[in-house]
Amino acid sequence: MKKLALHTQILIGMALGLALGVVCIYSPGLSSFVVDFIKPVGTIFIRSLKMIAMPLVLASLIIGVANIGDISKLSRMGGKTVAIFIITTVISITIGLTLVAIMRPGDSLSEETRMELMSEFDANAENQINVASQLKPKGPLEPLVNMVPDNIFQAATDNRAMLQIVFFALIVGVALLQVPKEKGATVLSFFNGLNEVVIKIVEYIMMIAPYGVFALIASLIIEIAGDNPSRAWELLQALLWYSVTVVLGMLVMMALIYPLLIKFFSKIKYLDFFKGIRPAMLLGFSTSSSTATLPVTMDRVEKHLGVSEEVSSFVLPLGATINMNGTSLYQGVTALFIAQALGLELSISAQLTIVLTATLAAVGTAGVPGAGMVMLVVVLEAVGIPTAGIALIMAPERILDMIRTMVNITGDASVAVVVASTENALDVDYAHQHSGE
Amino acid sequence: MKNLPLHVKIMIGLVLGVVWAFISSSLGWNAFTIDWIDPFGTIFIRLLKFIAVPLVLFSIINGVAGLSDVSRLGRLGGKTLLAYMGTTLLAVTVGLLFVNIIKPGTYMDEEQRIKNRLSYEIWLDDNNMGLAKDGRSFLSDPEYQQYLTEAQQGREMTEAERANIEQMQSTAEAQKSASPLQFIVDMVPENIILSISSNQLMLQVIFFAIFFGITLVLLPKEQSEPVMAFVQGINGVFLKMVELVMQAAPFFVFALLAGIVAKMADTPAEVFELFLGLGSYALTLTAGLAFVVFVLYPFIITSFIPKLTYREFFRNMSPAQFLAFSTSSSAATLPVTMECVEDNMGVPRSISSFVLPIGATVNMDGTSLHQAVAVIFMAQLHMIDLTIGQQLVIVLTASLASIGAAAVPSAGLIMMIIVLQSVGLNPAWIAIIFPIDRPLDMFRTVVNVSGDATVSTLIAKSEGELQKYVD
Repeated sequence: MKKLALHTQILIGMALGLALGVVCIYSPGLSSFVVDFIKPVGTIFIRSLKMIAMPLVLASLIIGVANIGDISKLSRMGGKTVAIFIITTVISITIGLTLVAIMRPGDSLSEETRMELMSEFDANAENQINVASQLKPKGPLEPLVNMVPDNIFQAATDNRAMLQIVFFALIVGVALLQVPKEKGATVLSFFNGLNEVVIKIVEYIMMIAPYGVFALIASLIIEIAGDNPSRAWELLQALLWYSVTVVLGMLVMMALIYPLLIKFFSKIKYLDFFKGIRPAMLLGFSTSSSTATLPVTMDRVEKHLGVSEEVSSFVLPLGATINMNGTSLYQGVTALFIAQALGLELSISAQLTIVLTATLAAVGTAGVPGAGMVMLVVVLEAVGIPTAGIALIMAPERILDMIRTMVNITGDASVAVVVASTENALDVDYAHQHSGE
Repeated sequence: MKNLPLHVKIMIGLVLGVVWAFISSSLGWNAFTIDWIDPFGTIFIRLLKFIAVPLVLFSIINGVAGLSDVSRLGRLGGKTLLAYMGTTLLAVTVGLLFVNIIKPGTYMDEEQRIKNRLSYEIWLDDNNMGLAKDGRSFLSDPEYQQYLTEAQQGREMTEAERANIEQMQSTAEAQKSASPLQFIVDMVPENIILSISSNQLMLQVIFFAIFFGITLVLLPKEQSEPVMAFVQGINGVFLKMVELVMQAAPFFVFALLAGIVAKMADTPAEVFELFLGLGSYALTLTAGLAFVVFVLYPFIITSFIPKLTYREFFRNMSPAQFLAFSTSSSAATLPVTMECVEDNMGVPRSISSFVLPIGATVNMDGTSLHQAVAVIFMAQLHMIDLTIGQQLVIVLTASLASIGAAAVPSAGLIMMIIVLQSVGLNPAWIAIIFPIDRPLDMFRTVVNVSGDATVSTLIAKSEGELQKYVD
């Protein structure tokens, strides 16, 4: 086991978890054992990753900014990063909309199944709509206000306030650049040390990754199957065409858009990129949490793709909160799917509204738990599709969330590579040698 | 524009903000101002607030650990508290003088005041509180019977107002029923991370920081040195942040003022109307506050430090004063107050970092003055004559409440309930002055901040550490 590469270990963990989960479906006694004694391993794994995310972002970003050494470079990098985030988001929504328009998954949904789905998930949908309505009545600049912490220690105790930590770390970094060297030196070396320690801890946590992933997948299968596995399977089948559309869109992003992006703007080979980021992708898939995966993404991008720390520590935490290509694509597909299923035709201008609101919602709902669903409600409302329609797509939501997260992470990593490449902070040869490790 | 001093730029921002708010509201652009300009004001306050807690924490540790002799700390602390109490008493006295000379409550029409008085006595009856404090009873006087029915109808409060007042009353109740030493108990944190993650527990942070600083002094050098270097460095970082934020202050102040005025009312006419009804009260209060800032403090400080001229005092302090005015938050202004007192007044950091954060939480001269004026004004409005003795009770409760309620949010109004109750008046009356509380809060904060700065300068002088203005 020791000799295998990390991603192979994780893959084996996933396969075994899947096998165990399937076995459990047919033996209820075993499944309660798995829930009681194996699932906690997965939860511990996610918690330990989340535990380390906040200090990692803080320390590495402060160090990163202080190492840039030049504020104009920082603002140039920031502008570039945000611009690429927005462009990739718009592209991903457009792909989603196009695919739905071509494949028309909503038409294949029979009236009968629609009613069934609606009645089954109505309560759940209402819940999401409530969360979204609480978010609504705010000024247009609210996201900007929310980026500034009110109390930095309070922000640090809340995983959802990641953007505030990013903001704080940026200011600390800038201020550190401007205080006299001899005064700042101790602070800098403190955060340097802290950063090293945190990175070491990430390495330790990754040692249990295969087991964590095994536990996560096994318990996930049990959760999806629920009390009535054949019923769950039916539900999934009813939405098969829709799920295929989403997955196809994700594939287009991964196999076409990101390779093109990387080919155009950097010298790194896509195969090397893919190899390097593979473990993070697998982890994103199993945890369906960008925040939990963030420590690993940073580790892979720096140590295996040769992106310099100042770029990765800036781009990746920002990306984890505001750049969600997979989620945006999903918004596009789902909004149009619901419209089709309910027999509504959306005009081109309504579709443009979807692109716009989904992009804004991606930024605005950063830090809201289960942001994907909440964003979806916001988007549906913007184009006047009945929000109760989200009951239709609840069944495969959990699985699609896993795939979404994988795309989100790949997107963040590609942006990091592109920004690093244009800033001359990318070591291509290093990436070639270390990507497979 | 580049060469203007900061406080002038802030003042320009302030004036432009008000002008903008009036223009935009008369053009019907209020929604635009609230949506697109006001958020920057909020951002400004948030920026200052998130800097304040770590700044207090690290600068106190830094300051205390910088004292060569810990026993000095006890003397410094005693002096600080005495000085703060002294200025508070002075401020309340000024308030009482002004309100008794001007008598703002008597400008209202006589009939209305009689009705007020009757409804007050009805309230006393309902609550079994016996006769009014001045011993007279208008209810039993046949002369006033004609007004009785109207008085019974009283002034109807809206549902929201009532809920609001009830909530504050219960907070005040809790405050009062606690042991008199409760505020000392509250000063000791239970969990230090919890304290620093709340902006309302500043006193606990101060306590921890002082304790931490003393411990650092007592440790052997080789152990304390790396910690000291870190604290010094990070303190420098936060001071630099204040500087960075202050560069944009004129713009932020513009946004803040525009937002405040735009939110207050839809049209400029409404703003004036608000002030008109309570004009005499607002004027009395403002005059009292102005007297404290422009006469009392400068008089005290220049008589102790002859070298510091009147003009220079204001030149040194004005950035903090303008900021206090626009943010109406002593805590948010604290980082800037510290900068002004250290860089402009020349107070050594070991003193300012200790005296100012304590002042920002316990010393509220402006707020206490406000209490006195408001309570007497309301009594006058209801035709109740308070004796000198009762007024002294007000002085005492107001001063004590200003220390005890330090950690309570929107402390001013809650303190006022306590004061009103202490002299047997109806706490629901705060609804009368509520509408114009926000603008008056701005003036109060200026006095609070100026008081803190004055005291810290005086203490530096008495410790012989005010190099800049030494004879």
